[in-house]
Amino acid sequence: MTALALAASPIDRIRQAAPQLTAITAILILASAPILVAMAIDPREFQGESIWLKPLKFHIALAIYTGSLAFYALALPQARLLTRNWRIYQGVVVAAVVGEVIWIGGAAALGTGSHFNLTVPGLYGLMGVAAVTLTSLSLAMGVLFWKTRATTLHLGLALGLILTFVLTVVIAGTMSSGSGHHIGTAVTGARVPVMGWSREVGDLRVAHFLATHAMHAVPLAALTGSRPAVWATAAVYTALTLGIFAQALMGLPLI
Amino acid sequence: MTPDALFQLSGPLALFGWGALVLSPLSPLWADRVAALIIPILLSVAYTALVLAYWAGTPGGFGSLAEVMALFTTPGVALAGWLHYLAFDLLVGAWITKTARSEGISHAFAIPCLILTFLFGPAGFLAFHILRASRALTAKVPA
Repeated sequence: MTALALAASPIDRIRQAAPQLTAITAILILASAPILVAMAIDPREFQGESIWLKPLKFHIALAIYTGSLAFYALALPQARLLTRNWRIYQGVVVAAVVGEVIWIGGAAALGTGSHFNLTVPGLYGLMGVAAVTLTSLSLAMGVLFWKTRATTLHLGLALGLILTFVLTVVIAGTMSSGSGHHIGTAVTGARVPVMGWSREVGDLRVAHFLATHAMHAVPLAALTGSRPAVWATAAVYTALTLGIFAQALMGLPLI
Repeated sequence: MTPDALFQLSGPLALFGWGALVLSPLSPLWADRVAALIIPILLSVAYTALVLAYWAGTPGGFGSLAEVMALFTTPGVALAGWLHYLAFDLLVGAWITKTARSEGISHAFAIPCLILTFLFGPAGFLAFHILRASRALTAKVPA
């Protein structure tokens, strides 16, 4: 056996650094298989799209989120996420993720809305609690990177993760307190391909998307190796996200 | 994809698994992988998708025979029930094949049990247990 064969693979290293996040990422991806098939056989639609598109989107988006956090754990000091308290906290976050996808999938199976569904008292509020709980992990990991910001990469990860939490809570919180993700009444139903954002009226999901991906955009700037570039990217990205948020609030489509 | 199209695919898929079991002496490892893992998982994915798609709003239930029969009046749910038979009968067939091999029962004796399980699931399971019981009894007879 050579040393190469003995060296841990990247997946193994991620799994060691963040076993719970790696496991939930795998579960989210594998559990999307029956959803894909359901999408192929179920003729039911919700707001003009297959009823299974939303559960599929949430499985993909949450897998990207938990998978990214697991990957970022490689940049933390060894075993930093493996202490008892961190394990309990990540367990709570995983439970919130599972709760969200079970309800979103269950609502699709029942042919009803998951978000903005006020027929069962307290349910929509509970979804909000779960959503904030799962998003809080980006803040908590961001703070860890901020404390140990030895390198430019740590700074980028810290700013990106903290921005993901702050911007997402502000934008998604505003969105959930309204009556739906559109500002205005769509008539033709014209949408941006794949993402499904409205091309007629304001769609708050665009800003939600940008807010949540701050954790990917800002750390990329760290690859320049320049701390001012990271700070500038964080500032521009925040301004862009808030600008697009304001545009949607005014009832204007992105494009 | 319609339930009918899915039905057309499921039969040959299950038959492939049974074929692997009949030919298992050629490659016990692959026969087991195909019949006890790969095909049951494919059938389970399709089953789960059908339940997600058709369970809500289906008439019927589990409270009485009439309710259970009503469940099978919805094509999507009836197909789910059919895939359930295909998946779990094949798993029982794989278990029979594996158990026969590990207990030294000739594959020639396992094959009739497999055919019976393929056609009438529980009857084949029963036949294999009768076969094992008879072996256990005869083993106690002093030579």
